[in-house]
Amino acid sequence: MANSAMMLRRREALRVLAACMADWWLPRQLFAQRSSARPSDRRVIVVTFGGGVRYEDTLAREGWVNIPHLASDLVPQGLVYPVARHEGLTGHFNSTGALITGSRQNIDAYGSEPPVTPTIFEMFRKERALPPEEAWLIATNKSFGLMGGSRLRSFGDPYSANVVLPKQLLISTIKAAVSTNAGPGVEDRRALAERMMVALDEGYEGFGWRVYESSHVLSADVKASLAKSLLAYFNDPSSPTSGDELTFFMAKEIMNRFAPSLLVVNFWDIDIAHYGAYSLYLEAIRRTDRLVHELWQHVQASPQYRDRTTLLVVPEMGRDSDVAGNGFANHRSGDESCRRVWLVAVGAGVPKGTGTERPIRTLDVAPTVAELLGFKMVECEGTPLAELT
Amino acid sequence: MQFKPPLSGVAATLARQYGETLARLPATVHAFVLVELAKWPLLFTPEQRYQRALLDHLSRTPPHELERAVAAIARIEAESGVVRLGERDPARFQDASQALLRTRGLFASWRGEVDAFFQTIDPRLEAQLYPADAPRRLVVQIYGSGIAVQRDRLWKPFTGMGVRVPLNLESAGTTEEFLRQLAGEVEAGRGAPALFSQTIDSPFDGWIVESDDALHAVCGAATPAALTGLSYDRLRPYRDDLTRALYRKVQDGVDSPQAFAAYARSLRIAPPAGTLLNPADILLAFVRDVLITGNGTLLVNNTFVEWAAIQALRRAQPRILITRFGVRDRLKPFSSMVLFSQPRPTDHVPIAQDPAGSFIDVEQLSYYIWLNAEKNPAYRTRTLYLFLAEGVDEMLAIRSDAPAAAPASRRATPARLVDVRATMARWLSAPTPQGAGQPIEEIVG
Repeated sequence: MANSAMMLRRREALRVLAACMADWWLPRQLFAQRSSARPSDRRVIVVTFGGGVRYEDTLAREGWVNIPHLASDLVPQGLVYPVARHEGLTGHFNSTGALITGSRQNIDAYGSEPPVTPTIFEMFRKERALPPEEAWLIATNKSFGLMGGSRLRSFGDPYSANVVLPKQLLISTIKAAVSTNAGPGVEDRRALAERMMVALDEGYEGFGWRVYESSHVLSADVKASLAKSLLAYFNDPSSPTSGDELTFFMAKEIMNRFAPSLLVVNFWDIDIAHYGAYSLYLEAIRRTDRLVHELWQHVQASPQYRDRTTLLVVPEMGRDSDVAGNGFANHRSGDESCRRVWLVAVGAGVPKGTGTERPIRTLDVAPTVAELLGFKMVECEGTPLAELT
Repeated sequence: MQFKPPLSGVAATLARQYGETLARLPATVHAFVLVELAKWPLLFTPEQRYQRALLDHLSRTPPHELERAVAAIARIEAESGVVRLGERDPARFQDASQALLRTRGLFASWRGEVDAFFQTIDPRLEAQLYPADAPRRLVVQIYGSGIAVQRDRLWKPFTGMGVRVPLNLESAGTTEEFLRQLAGEVEAGRGAPALFSQTIDSPFDGWIVESDDALHAVCGAATPAALTGLSYDRLRPYRDDLTRALYRKVQDGVDSPQAFAAYARSLRIAPPAGTLLNPADILLAFVRDVLITGNGTLLVNNTFVEWAAIQALRRAQPRILITRFGVRDRLKPFSSMVLFSQPRPTDHVPIAQDPAGSFIDVEQLSYYIWLNAEKNPAYRTRTLYLFLAEGVDEMLAIRSDAPAAAPASRRATPARLVDVRATMARWLSAPTPQGAGQPIEEIVG
């Protein structure tokens, strides 16, 4: 029974892909159109299509309306794995931790502990003796402060990623700006500060829990410079309407200034599903789809990234099925809907316009990134995705 | 494990009466039962009946069978070290044991074994608690006026189910007229329309849950409490007080949602007098739990309606439940996406409604209410579900004993809302006054 269900799912995935993406779903030689970027030139951006999203609301036929950019623009340029699975705990920190370590994590769900196995950031920097500017994590989820490095003594802070939580950075910037009590408009600034600090202190499924900061911190001048840009962006008349837009802005800033080889971007707006409003959840999916597309356009517009960047887009986990609990609103049942995800790869080294029904795991992302960037991922449960490496 | 539970009254009597049986259970299950008993005054009657039936069943199970049934749980407890915990208070033991099971990576397997244990027991208890001849039940879900209903997508989650009945809404142009014709007038001195007063024995048997106040105005105007009503709008002062208290705590710093939830439960804030149709202590605790444990229930009216309805179905198991959804406010950029923030003068963006988004939301939420009801043995196979939308001349009816789609209604004339009321009365075996409408044969024939 279970096998036949899996066969059906696979057939459905293939049928879906074949029917609606026919222009790219062709019996092409899988590796025929690889670009020739060498590992040393290679840059990798991993985007978590994040906050927990159901397959049926995205890559399944009925979900395409919510991901028009992925379905029409990115997938035809790249390779899609429609059958991916998250194994392990279905919380944000543990599922994203699994993604960036290649190993299941079983730690505090709210970010008070770092991952227990090495992250791609640490392995990358340690093996290649790279400076901190080469590995970054930009996260909307404020519990990700300790996500940049593991607790292992031989790794950890000296090799961790720079972690930026844009909303938290904005809060501290605003606090600093109003603390001077100087200049005109102090009252307005205080009012703005009060509003913004409340506004940015969001948590869709919980209640403003604590932000844990790594002892690996950005240098003061870098932090100040990024904060200044962020504030300017925030004051723009077309001000951002969500945390993910701040994250997107910050990701672009980091790319422009540091051109890191490894960048992980955590989007999280989709987790607004916890509010129980299905339309807001769908809206967040569409926003994430747009931001991923804009990020890819930014890659294409940047000489430091164009033709040498592999973009991996993957939800860190799904959400509950309708029959389990309260459906899309949560991701606590651990059922298949909570685990079934997908992965889209595009860019350097990725065969264009194809897909494979081969089931993969989100645990495979980390070792794949390692192969793409030319380092080894030890102590890892996942295996590199052969189609990409 | 020798626990020292803080029990009194009936709960203490039950704990004593079944002490020998409880002592045979693995500590985590033993603690669970005692924790539930400690809530006794705040348990609804069906919950109390379940606890009694559970204890009775366990006591009648031969010791060797019980030992075999819980062996896997006991093994995990031994492996994890739970059995060595010294805590004697059941609630604190429960917290400590679950923390230990998580630390040892055994929580999921423990949870699986506990679920498996109850999956063997519950069907037997259900057969006892919900016999085949138990009274029929009724769940009515109404989309309020203002929701931008898309007729071609209406009740899409129920495609292939039930029967769609055309309605004549000629004299039901306003919300009040619509609801009054559907529910009927409040009977003098009885505090509720006849549909309720003739079919329920206790206020907890009839619930209305809504985003605004319209159903309350029609169904529950009189006192004493004849039914139970929850209104998101009526609860505004309470929600605001709760929000302020919680936000102060957030600003002081919270380590985790669990810690926050514990704080929230310790709050002694009550809704102002008149907020609840039925201001029983058990309802106050119920509302607080709905607002604290349901993500978004403090912020989104329809989420409150759905979650409160689901909890009512699960816990109180009313014979009649009527929900009415409304139009959700549009979320303002950033600022209103925040739990526990309050609108302030600095929030210049005016509040706007989202009728189109609300329709998408309530389609999903009404489906979840139905799904949860059908999971419940109290409702499965004995419930009539009616779905209506104010201003829409069509209704969907699903009988849980025959949920498959019926042929399209061949009525010569559309049904009136008084006919719908007569249909509900017939379903519940309540008398229908002469001239008060004709039951719809496609549904109850």
